[in-house]
Amino acid sequence: MDRRDALAKMFGAKGVRVNTNRGDEYYDSLRKKIEKRLSELRNSPAASKVDIEKVLDAEGLSRRDFMKWASATCAMLMLPASFTPLVAEAAELINRVPIVWLELQDCAGNTEAILRSDSPTIDELILETINFEFNETLMVAAGHQAEEHLDEVIEKFAGNFICVVEGSIPVGAGKEWCTIGAKGETFEEHLLRVAQNSAAVVAVGTCATFGGVPAASPNPTGAVGVQDIIKGKPIINIPACPANPANITGTILHYVMTGQVPELDYLNRPKFAFGYRIHDNCERRAHFDAGEFVEEWGDEGAENNFCLYKVGCKGPMTFNNCSIVRYNSGTNWPIGAGHGCIGCSEPDFWDKYAYERPMADANIKAPTGGVEKTVDEFGLGLLTAAGIGIAIHAFASAAAGKKEEV
Amino acid sequence: MKQGYKKVKRMTVFMRLNHWVVAICMVAAIITGLYIGHPYYQTLIADPAVDKYVMAWNRWIHFIAAIIFDVSSIVIAYLYFFSRFEKPYKKLIPNAKNVKEFFDVLINLITLNRVKRFDSSHSDSFNTVFFFIFHLMLLWMLLTGLQMYVHGLGSGLSSIGEWWPAMLHLATDWTIWVTGGTYMDVRMSHHETMYYIIAWIMFHIYYQVWRTIFWQEGDIAIVFGGSKYVKESESKD
Repeated sequence: MDRRDALAKMFGAKGVRVNTNRGDEYYDSLRKKIEKRLSELRNSPAASKVDIEKVLDAEGLSRRDFMKWASATCAMLMLPASFTPLVAEAAELINRVPIVWLELQDCAGNTEAILRSDSPTIDELILETINFEFNETLMVAAGHQAEEHLDEVIEKFAGNFICVVEGSIPVGAGKEWCTIGAKGETFEEHLLRVAQNSAAVVAVGTCATFGGVPAASPNPTGAVGVQDIIKGKPIINIPACPANPANITGTILHYVMTGQVPELDYLNRPKFAFGYRIHDNCERRAHFDAGEFVEEWGDEGAENNFCLYKVGCKGPMTFNNCSIVRYNSGTNWPIGAGHGCIGCSEPDFWDKYAYERPMADANIKAPTGGVEKTVDEFGLGLLTAAGIGIAIHAFASAAAGKKEEV
Repeated sequence: MKQGYKKVKRMTVFMRLNHWVVAICMVAAIITGLYIGHPYYQTLIADPAVDKYVMAWNRWIHFIAAIIFDVSSIVIAYLYFFSRFEKPYKKLIPNAKNVKEFFDVLINLITLNRVKRFDSSHSDSFNTVFFFIFHLMLLWMLLTGLQMYVHGLGSGLSSIGEWWPAMLHLATDWTIWVTGGTYMDVRMSHHETMYYIIAWIMFHIYYQVWRTIFWQEGDIAIVFGGSKYVKESESKD
């Protein structure tokens, strides 16, 4: 290796770049791996009776619609176009992989985002075909019956099921308030029991990934995310409030297809979804560069779709694909609808991102934990103090006079 | 030259040039940085479209000022140890002599020049420590600034190659954890440090003027002509 190559290797740090082209060799071996995995799945019994063809039929969607979706999802997962049939096949076989969906300390917003749309996308339909062996929000069983069922699932599919977690886990003083089931298990015990037997854990929504809203200051229940508790299991974080169904399906599909977790960033978020910054793919970016901002809600700028930075858009510090994938069948997304990004896919978003002011005007906690001040107020206070100090010294010096004259 | 005084060289041409380049960059970075943090004036909507690039210009000036700073900082860091004129690190070592000088200069300041027990012909320990704090703040601005900058290179590509964003991640990702764990904390810290730097500048200008008036050795001339004057009776050289 010559020096240039050595330097290139040293600085070509793996894990930094969102690599959308890994070369033929990589994709050939990936294809073989996927084909092997899918044939295994095809030969295994369908755990759920619902299959995608029937669901599509019921919704009046054609095979062509399904294949269009498959090619879009293939692109979203950053795979070559030739993988489209494999993606379609994986979507058909998604009901082979059992899933346990836990509902912890949250508003069930992620479940709602998937279920409550009046014209469901194929992403959402795929999630319907998924073999939910256990789902606290949706299942019919209750009490001892539900507990028994969970025990059965854990025993039957030990080491093979995906544990999807929605909601944060209280571990602080208030954790006793959050119990589940007839035995009064705390959320922490419940999660640990299920996750220990799973193949991988997928944390869905910001509460499950970083604690989210329950963990916002003063965090009365000591809420934390899944990755703070579960160790030694592959964890995939799909934050956002709610998480985009496209990203949930994409991640599960990636797992079904390859049996591996997708490439993750430093917060364990899949790079295919969280590798790019909202700001860089924003339709209002030109107005940012032009310095054309919405000054207040409903003004001339708002009518002209100006940049929302001055009313607190946090797109410049938020990594997510909503500016590309959007929500509700690609209908729209927050910035498109005229409200700035609140950074819901970043840690501590409720305290540090979700205010309708630019960062310089944000309230921050004093180091003492006391009165909240903005950075600018703090700074002006500091400068005033420095100015007063200098003025006192200057007046005292002038009054005392020069040494020689004394 | 006034009788009984002698001229002492204190700053080389390069040091003075660097001082003024840094001073100009500082003003430019503060003006544009405040705009980036909270755009405080509006783009004129009636402007021709070709002029509408206000945020981009502000960021451009801010980044150019920053890169000049960065280069200057590297040179200054080198000179700390290898300057042929004066090696500042020698005044930073907390040995008995430097500690004594530091407090002697401080006492001189708070006794309003009533007590002056040190040789003011050369750069003193107090001022060197004071400048060292400034250089640390600049280094912090450099690291947090580049961390925010690399967010814009999310694809991992740049016009000068993949090594650049990769290196920035390696060199600055730790600032996220140090400041509080999110990108926003890095921004807030960058913004807050600006105020410490402004306070530093206020004291720096005041103190140099104060020295000039009370020591009567023409200290303010150092940064213009490179020399100051010392009473021959007080000088030890």
